[in-house]
Amino acid sequence: MSAPLAETLTQLRVGNQKFLVDFYQRSRHLFARWAQRQFKLEAPQAHALLQDTLLDFYDQVADGRLTLLPADLRAHVYGMAQQRLDAQVPANVPLPAAEASRRQRLLTQFNQLGADCQQVLTYFYFRGYHFEKMGGKMGFPNATVARLQKSTCLRKLYELLK
Amino acid sequence: MSSSTPSPDLRPYFDDLERFADGQMAPAEQEAFELRLEQDEAMADGYAAYEQLTADLRWAAGHNTLRLRLQALDERMNQRGDALARTEQLVKRRRRWATWGTVGGLLLVLATAVAFYLVRPGRARPARNWEAYYQPDPGPAVTTGLLHSRPLLGEALDQYQAGHYPAALHSLGRVSAASVGADTLLYLRGLILLRQGQGDAAQLYLRRVGDEDSTSELARRARYHLGMAHWQAKEPIEALAELRAVAADAQNPYQASARKAVAAGVLVPKD
Repeated sequence: MSAPLAETLTQLRVGNQKFLVDFYQRSRHLFARWAQRQFKLEAPQAHALLQDTLLDFYDQVADGRLTLLPADLRAHVYGMAQQRLDAQVPANVPLPAAEASRRQRLLTQFNQLGADCQQVLTYFYFRGYHFEKMGGKMGFPNATVARLQKSTCLRKLYELLK
Repeated sequence: MSSSTPSPDLRPYFDDLERFADGQMAPAEQEAFELRLEQDEAMADGYAAYEQLTADLRWAAGHNTLRLRLQALDERMNQRGDALARTEQLVKRRRRWATWGTVGGLLLVLATAVAFYLVRPGRARPARNWEAYYQPDPGPAVTTGLLHSRPLLGEALDQYQAGHYPAALHSLGRVSAASVGADTLLYLRGLILLRQGQGDAAQLYLRRVGDEDSTSELARRARYHLGMAHWQAKEPIEALAELRAVAADAQNPYQASARKAVAAGVLVPKD
């Protein structure tokens, strides 16, 4: 595996998703043709399938289930999509049930938060912004306001989970 | 912490755990907290649960971000695909038209000339209608190259030139100012609104063309159409002022048309 490709997984793990977004942009058309030929899927369904498959791929990389980039990434992604269709289940190679259900529950509650709270928590926990930068992005007057806002949102999420 | 055991209630420790995890404690306070973590089992369990919560949150935020990015990209690609498909249709239609267009065009010119001859205003009383003096701007030619490089702009111009003004406005609304230029977009929007008979609305856009550089070619053109927009909106004093300025501007491509309108005297108040 070449060094840039090996680096890709590291980049994905620290939140740089450009690789997958580019992959989607490059492959959407060909994937839809393949899915139409193999499974008689209409283009919008094929596009949704590719999005779900790439989300599965991202989850596998993010939680360490995938530690090596497959030699033939295209074949790997197509295989994952086929497994998804064959199994007719939302998640491919799932985590242990308790782990998966805890995460899914958190994802559901996260989506219940207001748009601002989702943004604040994404900036802090996913993008890794410090409070000053987050305040600037969100239009808060200073870093203290950003810290208090993040704290409030985290508590809201925790209360929803309880 | 095992995911199968019930998660401890973090609320009593939330403040401390959050400040510790976010690096907001003073060094002495942090040391004391670390010591407490070693000695207080309930606190240590709480800390593990808090770490799991934030790790799950990091995952959820990343997952959500990727989902939204892919959806947005999908939508953009759909829009671009639709615009390209329409462009293909336009190009095919144009080729068909080119075959029959020459004969049709000649007939149209002839019919227009006859119609103009029959309904032309009498020489004794000059026409008072703005359209009798208006010299329209067809905009840039819609070439195949333009349709491929900027499909949305090409589509908007094509619709404008075909007289489909509402559709042209809709297409123009999706053109990015970054790729075309803010003044060009304002100018085209004003032009289309004017042709659609919305002189009031057209003024708002045409007036803003040349905010940055009032001596540009586009600003000069806009001034003429602004005058006509005032005329259309039945504001003869403002229309006359703008058209006089255009008539006095030797570099304005509409100088002759503006002079004709001013010289006709139909905009001068009667009293």
